[in-house]
Amino acid sequence: MDWTAIWVSVRLSLATMAVLVVVGVPIAYWVAFSRWRWKFLVEAIVALPLVLPPTVLGFYVLMAIGPRSPAGRLYEAVAGSGLPFTFAGLLVASVLYSLPFAVQPFSAGFAAVDARLLEASWMLGISRLETFRRIVLPLSVRGLVTGMVLSFAHTLGEFGVVLMVGGNRPGVTRTVSVSIYDHVQALDYASAGQTSLLLLGVSFVILAVTYALQKTVWAAWPSHGR
Amino acid sequence: MAGSLALSIERRFTGGPGVVADFTVPLDAGSIVVLFGPSGSGKTTVLRAIAGLDRPDRGVIRFGSETWVDTSAGTFLAPQARCVGCVFQETALFPHLTVRGNVEYGVRDRDRAARTARADDVLALVELTGQAGSFPRELSGGQGQRTALARALAPHPRLLLLDEPFTGLDSPVRLRMRRLLRTLVREFGIAAILVTHDRNEAIALGDQMIVIAGGRVRQVGAVLDVLRRPADVDVAHSVGVDAVIPARIERRHGGLVDLRVGEVMLRAVDTDFDGGPRDIVACIRAEDVTLERAVVVNVSARNHLPGRVVGVEAEGPLDRVTLDCGFPLVALVTRQAREELGLREGGEVVAAVKATAIHLVPRA
Amino acid sequence: MKPRIQQLAAGVALTAAGLLAACAESTAPGEPAGPSATLSVAAASDLRYALDDVVTAFHTEHPDIEVAVSYGSSGSFYAQLLNGAPFDLFLSADVEYARRVADQGAGLRDSLFTYAEGRLAIWVASSSALDIDGRGLEALTDAAVTRVAIANPEHAPYGRAAEAALRAAGVYDTVRPKLVLGENVSQALQFVESGAAQVGLVALSLALAPAAAAGRHVLVARDMHPPIEQGGVIMTRASHAGDARSFRLFMLSDQGRSVLERHGFTVPR
Repeated sequence: MDWTAIWVSVRLSLATMAVLVVVGVPIAYWVAFSRWRWKFLVEAIVALPLVLPPTVLGFYVLMAIGPRSPAGRLYEAVAGSGLPFTFAGLLVASVLYSLPFAVQPFSAGFAAVDARLLEASWMLGISRLETFRRIVLPLSVRGLVTGMVLSFAHTLGEFGVVLMVGGNRPGVTRTVSVSIYDHVQALDYASAGQTSLLLLGVSFVILAVTYALQKTVWAAWPSHGR
Repeated sequence: MAGSLALSIERRFTGGPGVVADFTVPLDAGSIVVLFGPSGSGKTTVLRAIAGLDRPDRGVIRFGSETWVDTSAGTFLAPQARCVGCVFQETALFPHLTVRGNVEYGVRDRDRAARTARADDVLALVELTGQAGSFPRELSGGQGQRTALARALAPHPRLLLLDEPFTGLDSPVRLRMRRLLRTLVREFGIAAILVTHDRNEAIALGDQMIVIAGGRVRQVGAVLDVLRRPADVDVAHSVGVDAVIPARIERRHGGLVDLRVGEVMLRAVDTDFDGGPRDIVACIRAEDVTLERAVVVNVSARNHLPGRVVGVEAEGPLDRVTLDCGFPLVALVTRQAREELGLREGGEVVAAVKATAIHLVPRA
Repeated sequence: MKPRIQQLAAGVALTAAGLLAACAESTAPGEPAGPSATLSVAAASDLRYALDDVVTAFHTEHPDIEVAVSYGSSGSFYAQLLNGAPFDLFLSADVEYARRVADQGAGLRDSLFTYAEGRLAIWVASSSALDIDGRGLEALTDAAVTRVAIANPEHAPYGRAAEAALRAAGVYDTVRPKLVLGENVSQALQFVESGAAQVGLVALSLALAPAAAAGRHVLVARDMHPPIEQGGVIMTRASHAGDARSFRLFMLSDQGRSVLERHGFTVPR
């Protein structure tokens, strides 16, 4: 059982989830409330990782963070070492890979909040941003939780992107999915089977608990106005 | 309080004539302006434009000396900055906050205690002190609307806007809410603009009335003036009442009331307003007024009112006869009947109205 | 048509299209393509350039035999072949995989053969100033070299060879923290080619390939690592066993060998 790889995967998933909350909420806010006529283009871009083969995504990320790109060079100048093959580089790729799994539930949750509640808040003198904080966020907890859990679980199972961008460094970028793949390639089916079973069990438990909670705890907070 | 609201706006909708509204109306402290018209006539559009929730395509909205909207100058004051309270038909209470939390929401005092104190004051006014810790889903319809009113008023707005707030409520609750609204509006010293399609509500609450039909403003004026002298047939039809008579209840006996209108006494069936107001408005439809040559006895109609014919107007196969019986009254009769009675301007006639045909609306 | 019926019709049409597509002949990686009179070969992806040329030369000799090659990783092919993937011939970069396939009975033991010996090379981009010619593997210890790409030693023969060579040169401990592992030797090359790694240990056949034109290489001495035996086996359930044998013979013939040698392989005499 490759515990180091499991820990790398867990850390990566947690970090990706955290970054996606910070990055995803503003994007989801814009998607939910903007009336720009070309909004559908942005929605399509956000949804791209859903349909792109992960290897394609990984390939482009490697190009984008490598030493030949402005972003890569900037990072190297600031941080002292390159971005590819580091945990940080993998985090960048994971955030992009799981972006729609966070943004779509977030924005669906925001948009489900009754517009009349927003209007009531504005009439009471509260700005749009403050209304978002005091009304929309509390009433879209379900969407937020769904987005967070999905991005965590999705990153946990990430493979193709890690393969392209990670460099398979033990303890740094060797995630559990790559570790399993390596065992299979080396014809060590026993180890692969063990780790796979653990991953399957953990993922199932996380999802089951989340869906159970959504039924009970959050039912006390209806997301629609009376 | 600012003196008046001047509005001249245009809002287009795809596949429809849109709304073109133009009126100026005084906003005296404690007064209620009714925006009246049938469903879909554009009243809500106008109200939302006043609130700042919708932008008109073209036009100007001025509140006293403040310009809230001027499309030619590119001026648009956000709803947050207009300091206007709003009550919707569906309350739109925040489900995750208690009643007190809802009422406190718009109050901007820095001090937490001051905020709570203000909220509690308003809650007392609407008699919801006991409900302060409840959540909106636990409230009845009337309690919900009272919370909505309290929430809108707690920040001390300069104007109160209401969009059919009492429509979903039971009749006795509605009557209480109307009285409450009048109390609050006087207490806070502001004016309110109320949207309704309910004629009784307009009569009960309105001081000024704006009639909107088909996306256009048809008439503006004091409520009784508009109801008595509708500007055109459309207004008359939407307003639907031909005689609107302010009266006082002099005596109640055995399920009937005696009404005094100046020198004239009317008898009508008592409606139970739970012992309430003396000042009421009596409404009589022209269809319910019969005309006769002289007083006839032993007939079921209790009210026989001698009067003089002021005018006769043809309306299809019928004639609309306007009378003066000490107060204005309108009767709708067949042409044949008019001819048989020999009715013409200046002539004397007696109008008969059944006690059951006089509809009483308490003034709130 | 009413909207409801329109939607239903669209749904039925889409489903029918999907079913038809599924039933049609699919060319998934790992499955042989083309008409059934074709020799189907499963080959390790790092054989790509060399094998393409071998196939061309073979076809000139045997114009009646069509050859279709599917490239993939040896580990994946192993699993697929054991589960009956319909290939005729399996060519691996590591004879060990071919041997295991034969051990499991999926391959004909008597057809097991080593067709070439691979060579390891140090590869850098042309723009690199690293003196690999003069210093060899020792150059990898430079501070300027932060990342060294090799194939994954766990399952790639060139990875194992790279690891062994580094040990033999006495630089393994210094270089180890700098290692980044490609899933196969091609990916190791790609890491260097993209600039993310400064130097890589790759197959010589790859270093000579057009893909590596923007770089330069230096051979690693043969005695620095265990020999990289590249081998293959004919499948037991091959439907074109005869053609497979012809191909096998061709690879072991002088003609086949010269093609392989051109691609940087050493051929056993």
